[in-house]
Amino acid sequence: MTSILELRNGTKEYRSVPAVKDVTFTLHRGEVHALLGENGAGKSTLTKMLAGVVAPTSGEILLDGQKVEFATPSEALKRGIAMVYQETSLVPSLTVAQNIYLTDQKRFHRLRGIYIAGQQFLQSLNFHVDPTAMVSALGAGQKQMVEIARAVHHNAQVIIFDEPTATLTPEEKHQFFSLVERLKARGVSIIFISHALEEALQISDRITVMRDGQHVVTDVTSAFDREKIVRAMVGRSLTDELYGSRKNREARPAGEKVLSVQNLSMGNAVRNTSFSAFAGQITGVFGLIGSGRTEAAKVVAGVLKRDLFHGGQVRLNGRSVRYRVPRPAVRDGIIYVTEDRKIEGFFETMSIAENIYLGAMAGGRAKSSTVSMGEMKALAMEWIAALNVKAPNGDARVIELSGGNQQKIVVAKALVQKPKLIIFDEPTRGVDVGAIAEIHQLIGRLADDGIAVIVISSYLPEILQLSDRILVCRQGRIVEEFDGGKTDEETIMYAAVH
Amino acid sequence: MIGGVARIFDNLLGRGEAAVTVPPLDGALRPNRRLDEATSRTPLEHVDCLAVHGDALLASAGDSIFVRGGDSDWNKRKSYGSEIACMTAIGAEGLAIALNTGEILIEGGRFDGRQYRADDSATCVTAIAASGTLLYIANGSSTNRPAEWQRDLLERNASGTIWRIDLDSGAATKLADGLAWPAGVAIDRDGLVFSEAWKHQLVRIDLSRPEQRQVLYADLPAYPGRIAVAGDGYWLALFAPRSQLVEFVLREPAYRTRMMAEVPQPFWVAPNLRSGRSFYESLQGGGVKHLGMLKPWAPTMSAGFCVKLDRSFQPRSSLQSRADGRTHGITSVIEHQGQVFAASRGDGVIVSLAATDPAVGSGGEA
Repeated sequence: MTSILELRNGTKEYRSVPAVKDVTFTLHRGEVHALLGENGAGKSTLTKMLAGVVAPTSGEILLDGQKVEFATPSEALKRGIAMVYQETSLVPSLTVAQNIYLTDQKRFHRLRGIYIAGQQFLQSLNFHVDPTAMVSALGAGQKQMVEIARAVHHNAQVIIFDEPTATLTPEEKHQFFSLVERLKARGVSIIFISHALEEALQISDRITVMRDGQHVVTDVTSAFDREKIVRAMVGRSLTDELYGSRKNREARPAGEKVLSVQNLSMGNAVRNTSFSAFAGQITGVFGLIGSGRTEAAKVVAGVLKRDLFHGGQVRLNGRSVRYRVPRPAVRDGIIYVTEDRKIEGFFETMSIAENIYLGAMAGGRAKSSTVSMGEMKALAMEWIAALNVKAPNGDARVIELSGGNQQKIVVAKALVQKPKLIIFDEPTRGVDVGAIAEIHQLIGRLADDGIAVIVISSYLPEILQLSDRILVCRQGRIVEEFDGGKTDEETIMYAAVH
Repeated sequence: MIGGVARIFDNLLGRGEAAVTVPPLDGALRPNRRLDEATSRTPLEHVDCLAVHGDALLASAGDSIFVRGGDSDWNKRKSYGSEIACMTAIGAEGLAIALNTGEILIEGGRFDGRQYRADDSATCVTAIAASGTLLYIANGSSTNRPAEWQRDLLERNASGTIWRIDLDSGAATKLADGLAWPAGVAIDRDGLVFSEAWKHQLVRIDLSRPEQRQVLYADLPAYPGRIAVAGDGYWLALFAPRSQLVEFVLREPAYRTRMMAEVPQPFWVAPNLRSGRSFYESLQGGGVKHLGMLKPWAPTMSAGFCVKLDRSFQPRSSLQSRADGRTHGITSVIEHQGQVFAASRGDGVIVSLAATDPAVGSGGEA
């Protein structure tokens, strides 16, 4: 097979710290090439070099055998290399069609014209998105589709997908995979970055694994299995640590009932739902996206408000509580660890120490009433050590950390508030496999310490591995309960969809 | 002042303490059919209370006491001329039998033949427990008889009392009053624990300072009744489930008053020991049936519940009969010779399960 795009001995350094070290990477024409690695392995930096977002410190890029240099992403796009980012780069105040045709070199666009063309174009891709809809009104999955459509529209010969399926529902994922097949049939070459190893094994032709900014292995997909990939990614076997079955493992006994949610309602998202959480136990909540799990948790934590009339009741330690804002919930010991850490989890321009200290202040746990720099630093170092955060010191900005370490900071910010009940919403989304194991161990330790833990996840192996009891959510209500060690994926999935 | 305004708004919007909600059946109380799946089911019409007397297992039904024979049949032992309210063993030989009149008769043991009465107003004995020479009595209501428990609930009564009778002297002492239908009593190391049915809770009182009460478990999803000692904890019988419809009716005094005056008692919107026998009942149609079949998860006025409690009175497991089950209205549960026996007054049957069954969650006999 001929190569279409190649990076030879590429190195990229930030402030003399190498993010990618002497990596050679080759993309064949018409192949789907999965690029795997832990957070911080250098996958994104590598692809950003290929897409013209950053320039390599050393090494060269070859397109169709010719040496090229891209100063900007638009230059790369002109040469047929498009990148679809994890966080979409769409303009929210424009319509879908306007976003697709935004960079077309044309003085005027007739709205009617681009809407008709956009409609036909989206239909040709089998995307059910209204071209006249504002992007701000779209869900994450639909935004992803528009982003992909824009890349296809520019006749890209190389498309780089950075975590394209992280926010998609199972149905949307299925559509995405069929789109990848169609693009491949048209001769488009695809680089596919994902943390979902099964997806990489399913759709890719070749797999490259990176670790600590260096190339580890490249081979055809048939030469890999999950265990081999994980070993290459982290340098050790993590399969049992990560998703070992809980079967034959003792479930933690339930302590006192900490939370009792009774007939809770919030519009169509949460419909008359009831469940409990007990001290010293991990209650796993599984459901498909849109089943109302997150909304119910947010009502409990005061992030969202229940229905005004007969919206149900939340009882904390037997006492009826109603929070209009999260602050009193935090004071009462209810902590919600968000699924969207970048938007809701931390202040990205602040340091680790500031973020953790803010958590302590919000929960009323700071020792002094005024800001104490000494306490802030001590707190940061304590939690960096406790959670094994890979950061030089507490002054590092959270945005500079990898996804797994960012998540640890979000968790530290929550734990510093000394919760009675902690709700983890997708605790390992966008987190690398090494950090997943650490976060799972941490969640287990919290339950062992007597804290009531609720884990919301769309990933069944995670639910099965962590939970002492499993609740299944469907269409806004809890429909089934299982013992953690006495059920399997099929049974849970059946309850979630039927 | 602000609290009063908040309560007005809560009543208007159905939130806070005015929320018409019932607790979920989950955790140890997860719905199951273990009572219906019991291998041993012996009919005994009007069965109410179970007690172990020596080696014998006794059951009260109507005005008689029955004893379980070797062939698992129930044989009449004695009739008392008045309906039996409840009974309990005193030591190894004695048996205390409370009648609907409020009288307590002792048979066997040191106090054989004696009669006691807690008080002239104590005519609604719901449960008794013995400890040494002391007898503890739960009197459900000062205005209603045991059979009128639905009326007591709908009147939102809280006139129940707990008494202690010294069997030697016959002296009766009131330990607690103002209770919302106390329906079960048990003695443990730290005092006396009773179930308060209309408040759906288990409460402990310190016997040296009875005015001090501690709620051990609140917000049960059904109305708790009698408590019996088990090998590694206690069994709690819950005689009827709570439902949102009943919770709503309990907040409508005018409706309740008119309903009790004009509607025959079997058709009241109230919990029941057995429902679904008449089309005059309040829950009907698609809400409870699908293709003519009663839905197990349908809202129901009756169900079967027994809960295994640990030594700190926290639920560990449960035996249930769901809306479509045939073991409703459990009024008594007891362990005897490696078996757990549950008296289903609603369906007139006594079921038994092996106590060693992991699903039963019992560690064996006391």
